[in-house]
Amino acid sequence: MRLLAYVCREAWANVRTNRTTTAVAILTTAFTLACVGIFLLVYVNLRNATGWLQDDIKIMVYLDDQLPDEAAVQLEGKLRADRMVASARFISKAQALGEFRTQFPADSHLLEGLGENPLPASFVVTLAPTARSPESVKRWAERVRTIAGVAKVDYSQEWIDALAGTIRYLELAAIGVGVLLSAAAVTIIGNTIRLTLFARREEIDILRLIGATRAFIRVPYLLEGALLGACGSAVSLLVLKIGFEWFRQQIQTTGRFGDLGSYLTFFPPSVCVALVGIGMGLGIAGSFVSVRRFGEGRA
Amino acid sequence: MDAERVSVDAMIQLIHVSKVYDRRAALSDVTLDIEKGEFVLLMGPSGAGKSTLLRMLIGAERPDQGQIFVQGKNVTKLRPSEVPYLRRRVGSVFQDFRLLPKKSVSENVALPLAVQGVSPADIRRKVTEALRAVGVEHKRDQLPHSLSAGEHQRVCIARAIVNGPTVLLADEPTGNLDPALTGEIIELFKLINARGTTVVVATHDPHVMGLVNRRVITLVGGVLAPDPQVPA
Repeated sequence: MRLLAYVCREAWANVRTNRTTTAVAILTTAFTLACVGIFLLVYVNLRNATGWLQDDIKIMVYLDDQLPDEAAVQLEGKLRADRMVASARFISKAQALGEFRTQFPADSHLLEGLGENPLPASFVVTLAPTARSPESVKRWAERVRTIAGVAKVDYSQEWIDALAGTIRYLELAAIGVGVLLSAAAVTIIGNTIRLTLFARREEIDILRLIGATRAFIRVPYLLEGALLGACGSAVSLLVLKIGFEWFRQQIQTTGRFGDLGSYLTFFPPSVCVALVGIGMGLGIAGSFVSVRRFGEGRA
Repeated sequence: MDAERVSVDAMIQLIHVSKVYDRRAALSDVTLDIEKGEFVLLMGPSGAGKSTLLRMLIGAERPDQGQIFVQGKNVTKLRPSEVPYLRRRVGSVFQDFRLLPKKSVSENVALPLAVQGVSPADIRRKVTEALRAVGVEHKRDQLPHSLSAGEHQRVCIARAIVNGPTVLLADEPTGNLDPALTGEIIELFKLINARGTTVVVATHDPHVMGLVNRRVITLVGGVLAPDPQVPA
């Protein structure tokens, strides 16, 4: 405990002695992490938006015209018993015709010449939230299509596929940008620690000669890196929050995008804490690389 | 390895130690014993290999050949993680003092204890004892830049003995001092030796030999000259 208190004091002394270098390192790290943050915010909000759009997806299960009423009731039971189904609403042939006439009054005469009602009975199915990914929807539709009495299963296949593709690209881009800028943050913090190490090389040599262990020498610098990373991350979140609120206010003031502003969300507190933790981890990684390199070949 | 030659009484033992830097031999087949409680002068001109030998004794250099034992422990086989524990038993004094400029005299002396996690009360007591032993207790709160050369070296000696080491190594400790201060520092080493610490002082200054009047080991071009006081 005494050793820990001593190394913590040393780490704090390092930071205080090199105030300018520390401030510059925090600001550059904050800028880098803010770039990652902007990308993450865009990604999170787009993902939210696609989530809402996916919630609205309705799957039409059309029935054979010859299907007896009892079989339709059985099918309805089967659909409702399916764990992946949140709701299934039956639309009879007559109801379908009524809805057609309500939605397209100008075209309702087209059906009159046919004599018999050509519209099939159907179920409007909404899948459970856990089954709304494009892959799940596709798998479910293919399974239901094989059930006897089902003539056709209709959903916005292309649209869902395009959406899935976009999300995948966004995820890849988020990972790529995140990795690149995180590496930049590690380098920035690593270089700051290297400068400190260089400035204090004589002190480090003395510590080695009087019997300080490697951990005793390294830990203050690792703590300093952790502090730089955490502060950089916290500052970046603060800047992002200010920028985010300003952006949302601008959208609401101009009124061009409807109520889009109210749908935009910032990172929840748990994610903010995690991001500060990630910043801390990057700081430790940066200083670890420098400390290791500095210590190589020294006895 | 000449395992059969390892002496249980020797505090320091070198067996056929050689070290080469850039094809130049810093030490060539050096074999010697230093007994517990001995005061030894390691003499020789600059570049004779004195500093290399001292650095090997604290694990800062490894020999290319041979074995080195300090208190019966084979230094050449120590893992890097074990080296700090060797250095806690061996105090070191340097020609250029090597005090931390931003720490006070007492903080500098306390450093070897702080790295071991000694309690603040024990640190205070031991630092006071060490500073008193070298005669600079009144300078305890001052920063190194306000000290004279002699005081600098006394503080450095206090830092080396604060742990109560069994061996004290000094590399040209009087190199930056005038003859009067040199005499004072040598007297201090004699006092420390009289309390049972094995002392090895490396110097190129023949004046020191006259002051010490103890066993002399001479290195010339990395080779050990015959020891006149310890017959082979």
